[in-house]
Amino acid sequence: MTVSPFASALDCLTRVRGVTAALVADERDGILVDARLHVGQRGDRVAALAASLYRKARLSAGSAGLGQVGFLQLEAANGRVCVVGRGDLVVVAVASLDANVGMIRVELLRAAEALA
Amino acid sequence: MTTAVVERWVEAPLETFVRDSGVSIALLLHPSGQVMAQHGFARAVDVMTACALAAAIHASSGELGRTLDGRPFTQLHHAGAERGISLTEATTRAGRFLLLAVFDHATSLGIVRLYAEEFAGALALAAPAPPQHLEPALAVNFERDLNRNLAVLFGRA
Repeated sequence: MTVSPFASALDCLTRVRGVTAALVADERDGILVDARLHVGQRGDRVAALAASLYRKARLSAGSAGLGQVGFLQLEAANGRVCVVGRGDLVVVAVASLDANVGMIRVELLRAAEALA
Repeated sequence: MTTAVVERWVEAPLETFVRDSGVSIALLLHPSGQVMAQHGFARAVDVMTACALAAAIHASSGELGRTLDGRPFTQLHHAGAERGISLTEATTRAGRFLLLAVFDHATSLGIVRLYAEEFAGALALAAPAPPQHLEPALAVNFERDLNRNLAVLFGRA
């Protein structure tokens, strides 16, 4: 059995307290590449929507002359979605509201470096 | 661009799908190739061609799925340089249907698949009970029904 090249990065991400899902997805297609999910979580849906969100943010930032998107965070009533992109891929973390966003950001950026 | 339907119950699910997924063209058809609804086509001949090709692709990929996996494939995607197509099967109590969606860089395959899945669920909920006596899809009826449906879609009925 082959271990995914993203396994280590995703494992580190899921070890951050409050992170409930960690995924790698293709930014353009929104297709799930690898994931660490809890039972009942729909990785394909999260991947499609988070990749679409990141792509639109990247295009918006580019159109506004703001440069590259470094870190994207969506805060909702019951949790947050954090995304970092590298090349054609995005790394996504789904976390609870009480999770440490700073730690998630560090791990996401590390994971993104590992993708490069 | 407007959505045109042969039967009213498919209208709301298809409009929602087109709006949410961001596809440029959507076609709902029977696996036999009979059109049920369309969005984005300007000519009846294009609908007729797309229906015939989609039905043929579905039949071929279904058989391939049975051969390889023991069951037919229910979703198919083809990526082009600028545009891609997605073919999704929806099963309802009124029968099986195919959703052909054409999309470009304005959306993504993941989004199209996500909303196609939701469309299949919405279609199943909206579907009426099947008629007591289904007419067989004989060649003579097929041609007649196809022409009737195209006339409805393009305002010639």
